[in-house]
Amino acid sequence: MNRFSFTEYLTSNAGLDASLVSSLVSSCQTKQYKSGDYLLREGERSLHSFFIEKGLAKMYGIDSRGKEHILQFAPEGWFVADRESAYFQKPATCFIQAIEDTSVLLIDEAHILEMARANPGFLEFNNKLLHNHIRHLNNRIYQLLSATAEERYLSFIKTYPDILLRVPQIMVASYLGITPESLSRVRKDLAGKHAAR
Amino acid sequence: MSTKKIERLIQPSGTHFVGDGFRVHNIIPGSEGLSMERMSPFIMLDYNAPYYFSPSETPRGVGVHPHRGFETVTIAYQGKVEHHDSSGGGGVIAEGDVQWMTAASGVLHKEFHEEAWSKKGGIFQMVQLWVNLPAKDKMSKPKYQALTNKNIGKVVLADQESMVEVIAGQYAGVTGAAETFTPIHLLNVKLKKGMQANFSFPAAYNTAALVLEGTVAVNGTAVPTNGFVLFENRGEDFDVEATADAVVLVLSGEPINEPIAAHGPFVMNTREELLQAFNDYNEGKFGYLED
Repeated sequence: MNRFSFTEYLTSNAGLDASLVSSLVSSCQTKQYKSGDYLLREGERSLHSFFIEKGLAKMYGIDSRGKEHILQFAPEGWFVADRESAYFQKPATCFIQAIEDTSVLLIDEAHILEMARANPGFLEFNNKLLHNHIRHLNNRIYQLLSATAEERYLSFIKTYPDILLRVPQIMVASYLGITPESLSRVRKDLAGKHAAR
Repeated sequence: MSTKKIERLIQPSGTHFVGDGFRVHNIIPGSEGLSMERMSPFIMLDYNAPYYFSPSETPRGVGVHPHRGFETVTIAYQGKVEHHDSSGGGGVIAEGDVQWMTAASGVLHKEFHEEAWSKKGGIFQMVQLWVNLPAKDKMSKPKYQALTNKNIGKVVLADQESMVEVIAGQYAGVTGAAETFTPIHLLNVKLKKGMQANFSFPAAYNTAALVLEGTVAVNGTAVPTNGFVLFENRGEDFDVEATADAVVLVLSGEPINEPIAAHGPFVMNTREELLQAFNDYNEGKFGYLED
């Protein structure tokens, strides 16, 4: 749960030069959210993407029966955004909420587009991020359509090695699209397999 | 022999809840100058100063969570804690008792206010200390030492009322109840007003004292209730005099000079071992326990 600085992220992952990094970082606002605070509510318009420096957020929707479905967890070093709002400038379709005390960088979408236009290196980096995100979503859709509860769980712990210790099981179950009872069964079965060895 | 002087006097500030049953000041490593490395082998100290919990049918506490790589020492001053673990073990830590749990290679457990106590409610006061293990013992077999108050050796002082309870290590020829992996002295010092106790520990040992009740003077310096005294790593001897009836927890231990990689409930030597711990927990290698 160490702080993950945005500057460090851009320098080590994007291969951008220092002046570009500092231009992007200086255009961002850092905001502290208490656990339970909303970064974004359904129906709001936000012109920002969020980068989590410390803490943990979840992006979720609420269905017509009032049930919560978690689309994404965003721990340190993750981006989270409601594209409907940040890019398409329509009312947000999701909620983004801090589930720990969280330090967030608000990235101005317009500034990103501006930088992408002016700088091919940044455009390439931004595209890569976007494709990575699409790949992640593809995998997630495929899993939700095809995988067993255990397979979904095993994939979850690879993506998010420490989340199980940070959130209640009901949130993990919501993310996996299974019941909490089913998640308990999966974990119990896995423990059983190890005990039997 | 020379005097062990006070390096720093800390007055713990904010509190936070661990689960919903423990309202604690985090003193180690949360206070300035009290990093895990500085305080080794004492890598974490949470103090639940006296706090009233209203009666609750559902016991408050902390749900299922793992530990690996160290020991947890729970010292109950007021209130009762019930614990259960994934190997089927469990018990109650009552007032005056100490539970010394060696998590080592891994324990999955939960800790709640004891059911009958929870229903009545009351003042709760407890210390939880994490004691690091040397690399060679981090993956040893987990074990418990349930130390009831009557099994903890006591040195009665001259007024026949004041005493030093020896939880671990030695004091005035009495050996502590707990077995430890590295040299540690952990003493519960109960002094009537005006009484004094003298201590002597090797200069290199990391040494501190927490005033749980009353007020004291340490080497003549006034320390208020909840005050935490860190001693220098020079000199051996210090004295504690009660300026009001007082209870003081004294801790002193030989530092374990190895790298520390700590994250949440795991304290290992390297980042790889930490990732392994998360992985093992996720994959069920710590066993299973119902919430």
